[in-house]
Amino acid sequence: MKYKDYYAALGIARGASDDDIKKAYRRLARKYHPDVSKEAGAEEKFKDVAEAYQTLKDPQKRAAYDQLGSHAPGQEFEPPPNWQQQYSEAPFAPEDLDLGDLFAHLRGASAAGGGPAGARRARRSLPGQDYEIAVSISVEEAFHGTQINLDLNMPEYDAQGGLRRVPHTVRARIPKGATDGQRLRLPGKGGKGFNGGRDGDLYLNISLRAHPLYRADGHDLYLDLPLAPWEAVLGTSVEVPTPAGAVRLKVPPGTQAGRQLRPAQRGLPKPREGQGDLYAIVQIAVPAKVGDAERELYQRLAQTSAFDPRGHFVESGHAN
Amino acid sequence: MQIEASEVLWFEQHVLTLPELAELSGLPTAMLQELFDWGAITPLEHGTHEIRFGASALRSARSARRLQADFELDLQGVAVALRLLERIGELEAQLQALRARLPQQAPAGLELGRS
Repeated sequence: MKYKDYYAALGIARGASDDDIKKAYRRLARKYHPDVSKEAGAEEKFKDVAEAYQTLKDPQKRAAYDQLGSHAPGQEFEPPPNWQQQYSEAPFAPEDLDLGDLFAHLRGASAAGGGPAGARRARRSLPGQDYEIAVSISVEEAFHGTQINLDLNMPEYDAQGGLRRVPHTVRARIPKGATDGQRLRLPGKGGKGFNGGRDGDLYLNISLRAHPLYRADGHDLYLDLPLAPWEAVLGTSVEVPTPAGAVRLKVPPGTQAGRQLRPAQRGLPKPREGQGDLYAIVQIAVPAKVGDAERELYQRLAQTSAFDPRGHFVESGHAN
Repeated sequence: MQIEASEVLWFEQHVLTLPELAELSGLPTAMLQELFDWGAITPLEHGTHEIRFGASALRSARSARRLQADFELDLQGVAVALRLLERIGELEAQLQALRARLPQQAPAGLELGRS
């Protein structure tokens, strides 16, 4: 079993008072709770903080934890002799076990006096735990659908009511149409229930990875379409990439920057039917360097053209 | 190692009765009923027959259970927190929609202003 330093997780000294423990937990929970925090890695941090708090807030569990002694975090260790008989309600094999799982199932102070918990558990059914996992997929995977393997390592009860970690892999098909913020539910793939309790569920929270070309909003995709000034003025036909392959897009003469050209139904497919759109947003791109001949043409254009892009400044009386 | 294939359900396809919502969220029905009475959990539609809940109710109910357990909140506190989280969700969706429409600074491959 690997040691975890619960005092360090809460940022407190070993001799901290119950009040200090509660305060430290509250402060860290506000900072890292996954429903509240958007900080990177918040979920993992909160898990550590919550696990530490669940053990240290309970005087009996805290005493059991303190008797394990102090080791370096991650160091393999064994509980002292008799520790298991004194505190644990069910047999366990330390090498298979996570310290947090062990303490979650120790008899706490609130349950004291209720007889051996192993006996209670034998009669009671317990539902398995639900888990949420963040899964990030590419725009292409969202478009075509994909298959992912989830390597899971969840605590399970054995026939004696003891706990062990069982690594296993679940294969899930991410159907096409999953997009940013969408969730999928894998029924029964969470923690196993005990004694007839229902198996927990696995929830996948989908996010889309940033793409060099496309930006997603729901099932719609946005793409910048740079045009040369003469293309925008004269109109043209350009090839535009889409997740389903390139399409030809007609750019009408006199196309302004910011205009959205929309090849219909070229966005991400929607879960049951329909498809989002792809919007190509026109940008007028200007060459950073021009040769002499080109410069001369621009100069002639400047002398010939009567176009005044800022005419409305004067009309509204805000210039001159 | 054995690979288990799994059934995958769209979160959005859930249509749940109150007891089903209780089972999936881990909150007791009485508590869900109270959150519902406060408008913190909204049903799919108000009808004459049994109330049905959808994905947004399931999301809220699961959040409610976590908030209640992890912050030791009373139900009124949970209801307020849910309302605020929902509001933040709406604002983030708007922000993402606007960002998607915003052109990136320079067309890829062109190094503007570095001649």
